[in-house]
Amino acid sequence: MSHDCDCGDAQDQLYQYLDAELDEETAAAVRSHLEGCGGCFNSFDFERRLKLVIRTFLTEDMPETLQVRVKELIRQETPRT
Amino acid sequence: MSQGYDTATPQVVATQAHGYRANFMADQANFERDALQYSRQLYSAAMRMARNPSDAEDLVQETFLKAYRAYDTFQEGTNLKAWLYRILTNTYINKYRKESRRPSEVDLGDVEDLYLYRRLGSEDTAEASRTTEDRVLDGLVESDIKAAVEELPENFRMPVLLADLEGFSYKEIAEILDIPIGTVMSRLHRGRKAMQKRLWEFASQRGLVPEDAERP
Repeated sequence: MSHDCDCGDAQDQLYQYLDAELDEETAAAVRSHLEGCGGCFNSFDFERRLKLVIRTFLTEDMPETLQVRVKELIRQETPRT
Repeated sequence: MSQGYDTATPQVVATQAHGYRANFMADQANFERDALQYSRQLYSAAMRMARNPSDAEDLVQETFLKAYRAYDTFQEGTNLKAWLYRILTNTYINKYRKESRRPSEVDLGDVEDLYLYRRLGSEDTAEASRTTEDRVLDGLVESDIKAAVEELPENFRMPVLLADLEGFSYKEIAEILDIPIGTVMSRLHRGRKAMQKRLWEFASQRGLVPEDAERP
């Protein structure tokens, strides 16, 4: 990909960029577009923040007893012969 | 005639048994150290799959037990986390899934890309749009996000969970779910779109968006 990256290119690659799936050269082209384009920057920033909100709210507190129970189960397992 | 055969055998057996026992204990310790560190993450994913704590706990427990029993087949350098998620996903599918195995669709109609952002950005001034965006990102609550994910059909929910909750790469998701990478990308894309449509509805119900933006 060339160093030119217009708004269409950037938007097409938004999720791949945020998911860290682009190769370094392509990511650099997107990054450089974002530095010069407030509109695209804002949409990327919104999606990035939304991804963070999603991750935060989906992370559960695990019951402490679960970890203990799993360890007990594993220790009860005997070697296979 | 081999002198060593009769005399050596019991010793060899005893040594092997001892070695096996030692390996077993080492495996147990390694497994606890390497695999159990993912239990909180696995539990979070299991909650969004099974949708209730009791089934989620069973899922995690069964996943670790299955993983432990197959741990001797596990190769050093293999992606342990991805392997655990593959077991979790398959366990869920085999045991708890009540939906049909046929992939189901999300009804997206003419929902555009970045639906939520575009709807929020339709205000008169850029500044007003930014304010609304902040209000929505701050105002959506845990139950909105959880509901938006849980309402996704399973074939869309799994890739979204693996990418957005766990941060797996597309390649890892393809391996975990045993689907082509292109399918991962299209399901992620559609799943995220469907979620954004639902989040817009929640934001709207909560009065987080200006009334005139609510008109389609």
